[in-house]
Amino acid sequence: MMLTIIIFGLLICAGIAWYMESIKTHSARWIALVSFVVFALFFIFSITASPQHFNELQSLVRIAWIPSFNIEYALGLDHLSITLIILTFFLAIICVLVSWQEIQDKQGFYYFNLLASIAGIIGVFCAIDLFLFFFFWEVMLLPMTAIIAIWGHENRHFAAVKFFIFTQVSSLLMLIAIIATAYFYSKQTGALSFYYQDWLEIDIPLHLASYLMLGFFIAFAVKLPSVPVHSWLPDAHTQAPTAGSVLLAGVLLKTGAYGLIRFVIILFPQASLNFAPIAGVLAVVSILYGAKMAFAQTDLKRLIAYSSISHMGFVMLALFAFNAIAYQGAIVTMVAHGLSSAALCSLAGMVYNRIHSRNLNDMGGFWQSAPRMGGFALAFAGAAFGLPGLANFIGEFMSLVGAYQHFPVLVILAALGLIGSAIYGMVLFQSSFQGARTQSIADLSIRELMITGSLLLSLLIIGLYPNLLLQFAMGAPSL
Amino acid sequence: MNDLLEFKALLAITPQLIIALGITLSLLLIAWHRTQQMIAFFTKMVLIFAILLSFPLLTIEQTAVTLLLKVDSYSVFSYILVCLSALVVTQLSSKFLQTQIEVHDEYYVLLLLVVLGAGVLVTSDHYASLFLGFELLSIGFVGLVGYARECKYSVETGFKYLILSATASSIMLLGIAFIYGQTGQLSFASVTELSHLQISSFYAVGMLLFLVGIAFKLSLVPFHFWTPDVYQGAPTPITLLMATVSKLAMFIVLMKCLFSQGYFVSENLIQLISVFAVLSMLIGNALALKQSNLKRLLAYSSVAHMGYLLIVLLISSQESMAFAWQSAQFYLAAYILASLSIFTVIVICEQQYREQNEIDVQLNIEDLQGLFWHNRALALLTIIAVLSFAGIPLTMGFIGKFYLLSHATMGELWWLVAALIVGSGIALSYYLRIIFVLFNRNKNEQSRLTYTATEHILVSIFILSGILLGVFPDFIGQFIA
Repeated sequence: MMLTIIIFGLLICAGIAWYMESIKTHSARWIALVSFVVFALFFIFSITASPQHFNELQSLVRIAWIPSFNIEYALGLDHLSITLIILTFFLAIICVLVSWQEIQDKQGFYYFNLLASIAGIIGVFCAIDLFLFFFFWEVMLLPMTAIIAIWGHENRHFAAVKFFIFTQVSSLLMLIAIIATAYFYSKQTGALSFYYQDWLEIDIPLHLASYLMLGFFIAFAVKLPSVPVHSWLPDAHTQAPTAGSVLLAGVLLKTGAYGLIRFVIILFPQASLNFAPIAGVLAVVSILYGAKMAFAQTDLKRLIAYSSISHMGFVMLALFAFNAIAYQGAIVTMVAHGLSSAALCSLAGMVYNRIHSRNLNDMGGFWQSAPRMGGFALAFAGAAFGLPGLANFIGEFMSLVGAYQHFPVLVILAALGLIGSAIYGMVLFQSSFQGARTQSIADLSIRELMITGSLLLSLLIIGLYPNLLLQFAMGAPSL
Repeated sequence: MNDLLEFKALLAITPQLIIALGITLSLLLIAWHRTQQMIAFFTKMVLIFAILLSFPLLTIEQTAVTLLLKVDSYSVFSYILVCLSALVVTQLSSKFLQTQIEVHDEYYVLLLLVVLGAGVLVTSDHYASLFLGFELLSIGFVGLVGYARECKYSVETGFKYLILSATASSIMLLGIAFIYGQTGQLSFASVTELSHLQISSFYAVGMLLFLVGIAFKLSLVPFHFWTPDVYQGAPTPITLLMATVSKLAMFIVLMKCLFSQGYFVSENLIQLISVFAVLSMLIGNALALKQSNLKRLLAYSSVAHMGYLLIVLLISSQESMAFAWQSAQFYLAAYILASLSIFTVIVICEQQYREQNEIDVQLNIEDLQGLFWHNRALALLTIIAVLSFAGIPLTMGFIGKFYLLSHATMGELWWLVAALIVGSGIALSYYLRIIFVLFNRNKNEQSRLTYTATEHILVSIFILSGILLGVFPDFIGQFIA
């Protein structure tokens, strides 16, 4: 019930925000902020109050939805999805704060889209009927595309179309894999089923499972994104408004990693194991290529986008290492990257609002006029290149240590990516905040301090006390 | 006993009889008193009556009505869709016809004739009735397509349609003659009585020619060339009629014909249809990419949609036939709802230009610019229709695509699946272009569209049904199961 209330509540709030804006200007952002906070608190309280243990996937709702295909409205939670939903809520609040001043045009519809996309993302994290999962997977794209296409920068239409086509075509492959699995299930048991836990019980022959796994894998690899299907991210990320970038890098990419865990590795373990070398190579190529490309960018947001590709490569490498340490490292990296990339995106947005440029060549010497902003930028760049004490270090360290047992050569190569991240991190920081002074900008306002402060605080907490996350089994696949 | 059977048979075709009676009565009405309002009202009443009488027939078992027709629940459901579309077309035509001074009785009679032709088609079980329905439909359309005489394109459009349609039907007739020469019968099922040895290449050529005739009407590649011109040149309500009634009726009759032959044994035919399907999906979508005229764009997109739909014809076994029927019916219902929605938008937008005394209205995509900010309902309807065409969740089009993909996956038709995915990928870029234009800031003055209360209701109904049926598809599913 609780999840249903949250998803539909967010949608209703979205409608209210849109409507209220036409009555009273600036009411939409308050409605968005309040509803995110309220629903987040509601979620956390009901999880802690719940008698169930979420070590394993707990099915919470099961209602028949489309009986002719035996499709159900089924939602469930485990520690992994709870973690990601909390991350989503946290970043959603950041998104509202980031947009507070930035979005002046069509505010009502903007917050409608923001709320609706968060509702869709939460749906993705808790749907356990595959059809419903696909439904949310697609529905979350629509408001996201609208955010890019309406409030984005100069080349927004191209970026939005590219984003949409990449995800849509790849998810059609996933849809076919879903249908084929359901059809196979019906051949085995005599009835169609799209229910996740039913699927766990059937034994799919390996040659078939490899193809099915590939269908899912491609869809999630596009979302992750992994080389060679990454090229939508730099465009979408650069053209999106700041909140859009925060959502993209912070949460949307995590849906890809989440899908890899829940649907690729757990549903098709043997096929994934056979596929692991290829996935591992793709991951390492993503790490190195992302780092190299990030270094070569002059556009601040493009740089962050390529660094995301690089970091998500670590997640994929760790996931396909089939090792408990690596698995936990992957989850910490997911959360840490969600926070740190959101932080960098918000910073990029703050700079953009001041100088109306994303070009690193236009920046320089900001430290003198905005030391607080510079401090945060240094800290977040440090997080991005894995400075000990911040969350990313824990994630990447554990990923590499765990993965070493499975892919020693690949891990050695991947470790080079850490050096690469240090280089582009320093490029980012030096060319914007150090060097010759180009112009003076205003330092962080209180609202911006709240954003950056809370993000840095959470990065520090996880970095210093990773057990906060590691104490949960996160539904680690028994390997 | 015999009388009772005949009564049952007559009962099964009541909707068609109502339409036929309606045509006769409307001729009388014209002789008696000529007013625009009355004939329009009368036509609507006839259609509503036919729809209402169809509903009890939905659960009908297969009933043969003479040798020519066979009524089953599929044909009844399709006929309801036909009548509904015709009803919407009648409603949308009224504004367009009011701008001219004359009384347009013949327009409505022709429209009902098209509906009657479609009614014969969806129930036919015999090549003779197929041809009858085909011609009835075509002749009605020839009159309607060139109806707006003052417009620049009307003569060209009318002639193009007339000549090509006549060619197609003569080719089809030749094909039917070949088939008759082999089987000695004109019933669809006749070939199943022959053994494989007796099916010679003559029969195959006959089927090929027959398919070409149908492919012309369905505007499948490579017989699609007329489609964009006719779509663009015909009055918009008639384009809508062509996109819905004609496509639906032709597809249903093709399906009936092929399925009752048990054609799935013939490898050649399967290959032929696959080629038609793949070509239509890819070329239709690719050609739509660069169109700026909205009706031309929809013409090409309809080519692609018919290509997708051909997938259901490729069945591997007798058992998958029922599912193929369900898929086709659902997909067609979704396609028709989306077409009705988007054409309603086009008609309403065109009116605005017509009020500025432009006779030749050509609505381009750019003309929808900024619609979302000054006319939300209309823009929402456009978005839902376009998303439904593109097969994105929340709309019926997605469930339709889900049916098709399920069918293709179960039949292991991987090539067609691949073509469908590539086709939908291409399609997204022009569908999204339409949507993005809606959100563009309007540079010129905020032009307010004015539309009547009926149109307002129509728009709201389409928005609601578009979303509700997309989220709860079993509402339609129960009729076609």
